[in-house]
Amino acid sequence: MTSPADADLEVVHARRPRPRRGVSLRDAGPPVALVVVFGIFAALSPGFRTLSNVQNVLDAAAVLTVVTCGITFVLMMGSIDLSAPGIMGASAIAVALLVANNRNDNDYGLLGVVLAVLLGAGLGCLSGLALVTLKVPSFMTTLGISAVGLGVATLMFAGVQPNVSDRMLAGLAVERFLGLAHLTWIAFACVLVGWLVQRYSRLGRYAFAIGGAEEVLALSGVRVAPYKVAVFTMAGAFYGLAGVMVTSQLGAGLVQAGRGYDFSAIAAAVVGGTLLIGGRGGILHSAVGVLLVTVLTNGLVQVGVSPYWQGGVQGLIVVAAVAAAVIPQRRRNQVTK
Amino acid sequence: MTTNLTRPPGQRVPATAPALEVRGLVKHYPGVKALDGVDLVVRRNEVLGLAGENGAGKSTLLKALVGLVRPDAGEIWVRGEKVRLGSIADAADHGIGMVFQEQSLVPNLTAAENIVLGSEGPGVRHGIYRWNTMRRLAQEQLDKIGSHIDPLARTDSLSFADRQMVEIAKVLRIEERTSHPPVIILDEPTSVLESKEIETLFTQVRRLREFASVVFVSHRLDEVLDVCDRVAVLRGGRSVGEVPAADAAPAELHRMMIGSTGSDDHYHGAAAERPDEPRPRLVVRGLSGRTFRDVDLDVHAGEIVGIVGVHGSGREDVCRALFGAEPTTAGEVVLDGARLDLSGTRAACAAGIGYVPAERKTEGMVGPMSVADNMTLTKQGSRCTGPVVRPRKQAKLVDRWIERLSIRTPDRGTAIQRLSGGNQQKVVLARWLVAGDVRLLLLDHPTRGLDVGARSEVYRLLRELAGQGVAMVLLADSLEEAIGMSDRIVVMSDGRATTEVAAPADGKPTPLDLVKEMV
Amino acid sequence: MKFTSRHTAAAIGVTLAAATLTGCTEEVGGGGPAAAAGACDPADITLVGQVRNESNPYEAAWLDGGDTFAEQVGLTQQRLTYDGDSTRQQEQISQLLAGDTECLVMNVLPNGDSDTPPIVEGAEEAGAYLVTQWNKPADLNVTDYDHWLSHITYDGVESGRQIGDALAEAIGGSGGVIALQGVLDTGAAKDRFAGFEESLAANPEVELLDDQTANFSRAEALEVTKTLLTKHGEDIEGIWAANDDMALGALEALEQAGRTDVAVVGIDAVPDALTAIEEGTMTATVSSDGPWQGGIGLAIGYCVATGELAVEDIADEDRAWFAEQFLIDQDNVADFVSPEITESDFACDNLFSRSQGAMS
Repeated sequence: MTSPADADLEVVHARRPRPRRGVSLRDAGPPVALVVVFGIFAALSPGFRTLSNVQNVLDAAAVLTVVTCGITFVLMMGSIDLSAPGIMGASAIAVALLVANNRNDNDYGLLGVVLAVLLGAGLGCLSGLALVTLKVPSFMTTLGISAVGLGVATLMFAGVQPNVSDRMLAGLAVERFLGLAHLTWIAFACVLVGWLVQRYSRLGRYAFAIGGAEEVLALSGVRVAPYKVAVFTMAGAFYGLAGVMVTSQLGAGLVQAGRGYDFSAIAAAVVGGTLLIGGRGGILHSAVGVLLVTVLTNGLVQVGVSPYWQGGVQGLIVVAAVAAAVIPQRRRNQVTK
Repeated sequence: MTTNLTRPPGQRVPATAPALEVRGLVKHYPGVKALDGVDLVVRRNEVLGLAGENGAGKSTLLKALVGLVRPDAGEIWVRGEKVRLGSIADAADHGIGMVFQEQSLVPNLTAAENIVLGSEGPGVRHGIYRWNTMRRLAQEQLDKIGSHIDPLARTDSLSFADRQMVEIAKVLRIEERTSHPPVIILDEPTSVLESKEIETLFTQVRRLREFASVVFVSHRLDEVLDVCDRVAVLRGGRSVGEVPAADAAPAELHRMMIGSTGSDDHYHGAAAERPDEPRPRLVVRGLSGRTFRDVDLDVHAGEIVGIVGVHGSGREDVCRALFGAEPTTAGEVVLDGARLDLSGTRAACAAGIGYVPAERKTEGMVGPMSVADNMTLTKQGSRCTGPVVRPRKQAKLVDRWIERLSIRTPDRGTAIQRLSGGNQQKVVLARWLVAGDVRLLLLDHPTRGLDVGARSEVYRLLRELAGQGVAMVLLADSLEEAIGMSDRIVVMSDGRATTEVAAPADGKPTPLDLVKEMV
Repeated sequence: MKFTSRHTAAAIGVTLAAATLTGCTEEVGGGGPAAAAGACDPADITLVGQVRNESNPYEAAWLDGGDTFAEQVGLTQQRLTYDGDSTRQQEQISQLLAGDTECLVMNVLPNGDSDTPPIVEGAEEAGAYLVTQWNKPADLNVTDYDHWLSHITYDGVESGRQIGDALAEAIGGSGGVIALQGVLDTGAAKDRFAGFEESLAANPEVELLDDQTANFSRAEALEVTKTLLTKHGEDIEGIWAANDDMALGALEALEQAGRTDVAVVGIDAVPDALTAIEEGTMTATVSSDGPWQGGIGLAIGYCVATGELAVEDIADEDRAWFAEQFLIDQDNVADFVSPEITESDFACDNLFSRSQGAMS
């Protein structure tokens, strides 16, 4: 090849975005925000920096953590999941009716908990199946499954609130180990399991890959559908467990046990750095996001911000924290949707 | 592991039947005959080039070879055996694998995962990843092609060249499925690479030849001639001949591809008579930004000024900065005596500056929208139609420009993505012309991805616009293009405009003249 | 499945809604004034009770009260719920009004103040008899309408004050307390808290340490209370909650924190709160008597529809009135655990016996 032609190629093949180097910065944003927010509250409020309050924050984060563990895998695939309220409601009522309670003579104890989690997994599986067989967007299928879950819960509820008298289930919220409620340890275990699945299982890696480039999997001869169903099933199991945890905390099965958890969990995951378009983030990111949100809620009360201001202030801080975290990656004319 | 580079070629299989043979392949799509009886022979241990204009049937042929397209008629023979390829997996079982033009790697997985994706084998047991095994499997593949990529690096942190290596390593996994030497198809593998990376790729291709057959597709003929042993040419879905690469010249291939001798005449049109304007239309002084410093530039009405430079010279960013799409730190830009606000693209639009971006599909057009809507997308365009789209007025306007630029589209309501690349580009250009007040056009690789015919049409259009007094800044797709089209050429190097070379029709510089200044 | 079929009905409602809107206007001329006289055969009367959710014990009890009244007069009540969704409530109403409205009696819990006017207008035009409860804009006057018979509500200021006083008494007249407010932009939350502030003014030794919102939710109250317990610790001697759900959430938080010395009060008298008062873990609540509400609204409509009561004969102060509420504490909780409906409450000459006066 002659030298002019050589240079010619340089000209031709010049432009294309270079591989991103800012990855570490992007990942560092939310943890930094967490530390900063924590530091500010600790400086402002003596009540906030006590050990008992830190325990309180961790306890308060338990349920949201478990819901977020489930939703993170779905978000990683680039799908969305709004089924948490329905699945949690169904499993909350189911577990309350299966363990010792004031409505019937059941006393299945741990088996009841397992059945409630399986109910959650089953409902999650349904949304997955609807997604891959009917080709309905996950937004719609999960919304539908949420309504189904609430319907099942309302039927089981039948007008009388089931109150839990089972010692084991009620004890999960009350009894402590190393200063933290058993529920909090369950949440830790969920994060660990979630991380292992994400790192070491084909299911977790493929969920990640589906969010990255689904069509490539197809070109590589991978059948994507079973993995999607499995991810929704796993998410459903996490929601089921979260419903059980709420029941344990409240001592009663509530149809509304999961109200608001769908958006809180999505918000926590996104704040933690999991992208809604999929392919980025993960369980640890989401855990940080949950902590950030929980610390904010707790800290604003501790600092004594008026309840009339809290909603707005909390929103502002979240937006500011996330914006600060992404500043290094901003460029002009970036399209944001 | 069945193959080893040190093994002398030709020792494994008796060299009788060709590695791959295609006989009379036909494929119809509604209204189009994509393949009209193609014959092709790929010999063992050779690199076969495949050339043809856009629409010649190259991609359909390749898809048929890896089972993504079922031909209507014709036969595919692999090592003397007639085969029917129903899927990528089928093709892989017969030892045929393809590196797709759009890279087919999952960006957020590690290189190792991508290499073994879909055929993890012992890398995954009972659904659980065994990272060490995975890494070893991937390393074996990378060793085959002598690549030193870290198998556990995230794919999107690799350079494009490295990703290409990962693709090749991935394709070579088909060796696990068959004991025969594989046939590797590379579809436009150089389109995203820089020249050094291309050299590395060519080295790899030559290595592959030691134990495999390679089909190499590129729209750049010099590359094809450089790396291939033989070149087969397609035209209109038919094989029109083949030449040994050693004695072929690009011009000869060109002639085969388009059916007549390609002419570069359109290049050498003279600049329009420059009106006696004392001051240039565009005056740039001391423009500095992230990747460029102290750039001065003058462009007169009716003049085409090319900017050339190697990768990293900053010329793309200068071009975007003039449109307000790239932040600047110092300097001023004056258009027809008025200082230009560079803080955003609105001011540039309002001042009558048009920008044709390099990434046509993502930055230049809104794919699913109609030709008409794309053409009237900008501020100037909407000024013609008003804040509320007035369909009849828009239609009249759009139809006029469709006719003037001879844009081939079924009608103005057709989604732009259904048009050919050349016609898409004409619509993008027309967007800046509809308002009738465009004074400066910034052309960032306006002919990228266009075939020869479409290129000439774009060239002719640009010449015509220059004749009407539009000033243009051109970042050309090749040095020849820059030389042929420009009246003056500014060379950029390391973010500075270093030299200016006049390029009048009767005294064009040679590429060599420019290259000396570029490095 | 009950749930699903109701959704289907709602879905049909959507499609009918448009037709209805055009349909009503035509019916005005014939139906309206004639039916106001009220000459329905009791057997022709349709009774409808509409609330947000059957999964809310209080609202479920409301509908049960409606059933009891319906049985009393040999009819059945159509139970409607709209999941707290204003749009769905309007669709259900439109669908009802599109049918035979001459002898239709509706006892409605509007989702919010702003949902009341369209329901009232619709009923007026279609000639259906309507009683609303809890929510109505202050400037919408019942007396301006013929078919909107009555609006019943409770004096939230009074409820908030009553439990505030009970709380002050329970902690011995002095000490620190915290307040859990409802959804801040609702009238109920504002009134109840205003009542509590009156009570605080009357008990100067009681100190309000903190007030937070838990949005009427049991789960949120649990978290907020836990946080406030770590913030104020032993200083907290009492918890004022704007409804029983939040009071129950606070009780869970106290249990998890191992605190048994804190008095908790709420409003609504939901079954679990009554149980808690019986057990002594909760101090007091205020009953708004859901079953009575479910019955009384239908009873007023029924009496007018059958002609036993003329609209003109209802005194102006009985067109929009506060109903009597009862403070429930350990002494009288037994009377409320299984609320009994007194038939005489629903007799046409006794409908307004629980009035505490016209709405101010």
